[in-house]
Amino acid sequence: MKKFLILIVTVIGFAAGIYTMRGAIDKHYEFTQPIDFSHYVHASKYKIPCIACHQHVLFGARAGIPNIEICGACHSTPMKKTPGEEQVFGYVKSHKQIPWYSIYYVPDYVYFSHLRHVVIGKLDCKLCHGDMAAFTSPPITQFLKIRMSNCIDCHQKRHASTDCWQCHR
Amino acid sequence: MAKYGMVIDLNKCTSCQACVTACKLENNVQIVSPDDASEGRTMFWMKMLTLKYEGDYPNVKPKAIPRNCMQCDEPPCIKVCPVRATYKTEVGIVAQIYPQCIGCRYCMANCPYTVKVFNWYKTEQPKEVEKCDNPDVSVRPKGVVEKCTFCVHRLQIAEEKAKAEHRKLQEGDYVPACVEVCPAKAIYFGDLDDTNSDVSKASHDYRAFGLLEELGTIPKVRYLNAIE
Repeated sequence: MKKFLILIVTVIGFAAGIYTMRGAIDKHYEFTQPIDFSHYVHASKYKIPCIACHQHVLFGARAGIPNIEICGACHSTPMKKTPGEEQVFGYVKSHKQIPWYSIYYVPDYVYFSHLRHVVIGKLDCKLCHGDMAAFTSPPITQFLKIRMSNCIDCHQKRHASTDCWQCHR
Repeated sequence: MAKYGMVIDLNKCTSCQACVTACKLENNVQIVSPDDASEGRTMFWMKMLTLKYEGDYPNVKPKAIPRNCMQCDEPPCIKVCPVRATYKTEVGIVAQIYPQCIGCRYCMANCPYTVKVFNWYKTEQPKEVEKCDNPDVSVRPKGVVEKCTFCVHRLQIAEEKAKAEHRKLQEGDYVPACVEVCPAKAIYFGDLDDTNSDVSKASHDYRAFGLLEELGTIPKVRYLNAIE
């Protein structure tokens, strides 16, 4: 009977451990953004292309997050009264950057270049980031989880190089 | 495909060690404490190899030559790697894949030039320089072998820019940090297969020699002998 009890306790302990671990991993990928930004209004309703705000895609490895000057270029005068826009005005007037959370990141030993994928490879943003134009609220998780298996799958499908040194350094 | 190589003119080299400093900063090479350095755990990708000291005490002149990875055509290090963490790429550069490396250090033992260095400790930097790392190069974790890569991240960026502008990679688009910084312009760098390039001409100079050539490693870093 004692042995049986110990067995049950260990099994429950393992299950609880795995469950909490899973929670920690999932939490790691979930964020809340400071402003309720709607990609739908910008990209779908007013048809602003992605690269109008995410400008660094065309010039280098990192896409970057748009700074407040880019927001201020359009939002210097009020357009519509929404709580989100008022928040943006606050940042524009005080010349403060909006503390966006970066959801996508690659480890420093991985070289991922937007220039190589978007300009040279002519890939659609949707392939990795999903249909952002349909989102009315900011994304909270990665659309395509950043895993090496996901990279390799696509590289093999499109006959791109799978040589280690092309991405790892 | 290009075959990148380097020629160091010892007549022009003043042993100023600007290349050593530039390399260390460019590639985030760890700075080790004096205690570890005395145990022979210094970390340099580009190091001055002191050959001899000339002259007597007040007027001593050390004769030193810069020595980085030779990027051999027949690299002895790749033959012993059990996990293919180091191998020769199509452009002739011997790559070192850090996430793949298990730190067995066979390659270090098999390198006749002793250019590979091992990360004995976790990188610990003073707070003031924490954010001064080059973002194009990773900071290697503990237990990984590293070495000079001819600043391969610069090649990737230069290649991308050339491709985006629909042109071929020109001479001078891609140079490693040590070549860029050399004040005496003593280091030639470029495509060895291109017969018109400076580096190709220099490598066929009558003064040219390679370190430990008799081992058959065919080093792609060659030296021009100093003539006084």
